[in-house]
Amino acid sequence: MKPMKFLMAGVAATVLMMSTAHAADLIIGSATEPSAIDPLFSRTGNNQNVAQAIFDRLVNTDPAINMEPALAVSWTNIDPLTWQVKLREGVKFHDGNPLTADDVIFSLTRAKDVPNSPAPFSGNVAAIDSMKAIDNLTVEFKTKKPTPDFMEQIGFVYILEKKVAQGATIEDYNSGKAAIGTGAYKFKSWSPGDNLALTKNDGFWGKKQDFDNVTIKFISNDASRVAALRSGSVDLIDAVPPRDVKTLQGISGLKVFSIASARLIYLALDSARDKTPFVTDKDGKPLEKNPLKDLKVRQALSQLVNRQLIVDRILDGSAEPAGQLVPTGVAGNDPSIKAAAYDVEGAKKLLAEAGYKDGFGITLHTSNDRFPGDADTAQALGQMFARGGLKVNGVVAQPYNVYTKGAGNGEFSAFIFSLGNSTPTSATGLRNLLMTVNKDAGTGSFNRTKYSNPAFDQAMQAATAEFDAKKRIEGLQKATNMVFADVPVIPLFWQKVHWAGKANLTYVANMTEDTIPTLAGIAK
Amino acid sequence: MTVFVIRRFLQSIAVLCVTAIIVFIGIYAIGDPAEMLIAPDASQAERAQVVASLGLDKPLWEQFFTFAWNALHGDLGRSFVFNRPSISLIFERLPATLELTLVGLFIAIIIGIPLGLLSGLKPNTATDEVIMTGSIFGFSLPSFWQGMMLIMIFSVWLGWLPSTGRGQMGEFLGIHSSLFTLDGLKHLILPAINLSLFKLSLVIRLTRTGVRETLPLDFVKFARAKGLSENRIVFVHVFKNILIPLITVIGLELGSMLAFAVVTETIFAWPGIGKLLIDSIMRLDRPVVVAYLLVIVSLFIFINFVVDVLYSLVDPRVRLGDAS
Repeated sequence: MKPMKFLMAGVAATVLMMSTAHAADLIIGSATEPSAIDPLFSRTGNNQNVAQAIFDRLVNTDPAINMEPALAVSWTNIDPLTWQVKLREGVKFHDGNPLTADDVIFSLTRAKDVPNSPAPFSGNVAAIDSMKAIDNLTVEFKTKKPTPDFMEQIGFVYILEKKVAQGATIEDYNSGKAAIGTGAYKFKSWSPGDNLALTKNDGFWGKKQDFDNVTIKFISNDASRVAALRSGSVDLIDAVPPRDVKTLQGISGLKVFSIASARLIYLALDSARDKTPFVTDKDGKPLEKNPLKDLKVRQALSQLVNRQLIVDRILDGSAEPAGQLVPTGVAGNDPSIKAAAYDVEGAKKLLAEAGYKDGFGITLHTSNDRFPGDADTAQALGQMFARGGLKVNGVVAQPYNVYTKGAGNGEFSAFIFSLGNSTPTSATGLRNLLMTVNKDAGTGSFNRTKYSNPAFDQAMQAATAEFDAKKRIEGLQKATNMVFADVPVIPLFWQKVHWAGKANLTYVANMTEDTIPTLAGIAK
Repeated sequence: MTVFVIRRFLQSIAVLCVTAIIVFIGIYAIGDPAEMLIAPDASQAERAQVVASLGLDKPLWEQFFTFAWNALHGDLGRSFVFNRPSISLIFERLPATLELTLVGLFIAIIIGIPLGLLSGLKPNTATDEVIMTGSIFGFSLPSFWQGMMLIMIFSVWLGWLPSTGRGQMGEFLGIHSSLFTLDGLKHLILPAINLSLFKLSLVIRLTRTGVRETLPLDFVKFARAKGLSENRIVFVHVFKNILIPLITVIGLELGSMLAFAVVTETIFAWPGIGKLLIDSIMRLDRPVVVAYLLVIVSLFIFINFVVDVLYSLVDPRVRLGDAS
């Protein structure tokens, strides 16, 4: 090689190195902000994003919410009440100390008594009766009753270092003093309302990360977040509004990452009560009995909904029509259930059979700031119901903070709500949304219409008590089939979620709607 | 003066009490904070635990008296969302807003008064027309749209200035502020301009009107007859007389800018108290909303007090009413 060429190659190599060094910092513009750095403080999505970067859990989920090993490498069910969990070898916390069984026991104990936690992990550890360390890397659990989905419960609790976390206050976490995890990134600083800074953890046990420094900027306003990406102030944004997806796709140098999430938007129907406040006869007078109690009426309403039209026109294609709780890919989805076909004539016939040949009056309720297109969707539903001969007395849209109270208190007859499924199977969602409200059994916590179907409850109990994973899923599918045939709610669509970033980046779009730096990388 | 201060103080306490009661009941009427806070897949037991730990299971009057009792002891409660004392959340974010507001107000005054003077001294000329027409834009453009346009032009197209967030902070005389670094200033320019445009127009118009009203007065004619220079007439005699309405309005506007810079802070993701307030209302974080409004009411009371004192300094005819 001639000296000149050699020199050129050297320069080229330096330039290349410089450009990768430059590219190795990532700035994310995120719509939401954590309320605290303590990973066990709140289980809501805002806090999970940051917690997952700094801390690890016993198991993780892949983009389709399937469980995969994380800090736990294996778990065995010795008898119905006993579980043994093996921890990963060689995992170190950010301060250099190794992960031990004691840390796991400490974290799972702490999960249920974090002071003033608004969304505690107590449900995740409710099944535990006792825990003991067999050796440094093995924990044995006794459960209160047989719990086949035990790992799905305890697996998602973040693991803290006992020595650091013991006695730490919420301020210690927020300042970073106690923010010591095993995760891919270390905590650097947090300016509430502005940004959170992270640095790479070189001792991370998992996949090597592409970025040395990650800054998450909190930009709650949709238009500002999109503008920040376009101006180059940030490299990646989440929660891209559906209406901006096409524009961003058209800009060279930018890329959009999308997936249909497991967040179901549905119309809840007040089918349990004999009288319902917002259904009337055609003249607006109260009705003797509640038409929504009749299965045929509920089926008819479902058939009157042209889901594809709503998806195409209101959500700019950012959704998938839904006929059940979870989409294809999430365990518990029954491929045989299709979204009800749009069929006005069939619906009219069903209404006539139910004795409402001339229809009845109904008022729809919705939030107007919860998810893209919520109020517009309600308007569209109103028009579609009117086409089927119903008299729509009104469509009432309220801000979410006012709306939830009314929905929870049974003040509405038909109202739009959403449920995001963030667990590996549909079991939790089905339990909270559709099982009979029972405080002691812990079922039906989001069953706002107090729907009750004993046969379905039984099917769910049988399914969730099943230890064999395959049979458990079949049981869930059977229960799903049974309950959606009864149309307890009208499933409308699953939201698509979008991220957008510079073209030299990759991002793993995921059904859990998480924005985590570990899912971002440099395109190879 | 002493009587004036004491009376003001007593009035302030009454206002604060009424505010606390109204806000407390208001938030209670809006919705249920527990609904907003709990995880989407929470069980019944978790929900009950949260409701009890936040004290939301108690009757409203009991919740209020617990709050009032603690408030008398200087504790305005902990945020439901952050589990931190609400007052420290507010004071943590106050400097960012203060910085933004003061720069915004500075721009409004430093540009607004000279333009207003110019306009007022040369009425019905081309200069006057241009300034007045320009100020109509400042009044009528919605702050939200105007902010987006500033971002589109200066960040997305020209790429001169960053579009969001607060920049790097520097330290000067023990004060931390983004005013002391270049990066910080760059981040500050767009939001400060956005916040100032409306106030700027207001100052221009107030100054112009003041000048137009003062110029024909006898004392100005007398000063001219006495042979004083035009500069002395305008900058000493006229200027002093138009200051009173300006101080009133600027004082009030300073308060409202501090309290309700929400729109600008939201668009530019500026980590100030306005954004904290709107987020807290959305999430029904009652302790923060109540504490915030109490702080703001106190602030308004204080600003009004300062304005009243300034009157008496600028205009010796004004006495702070001991007698009335």
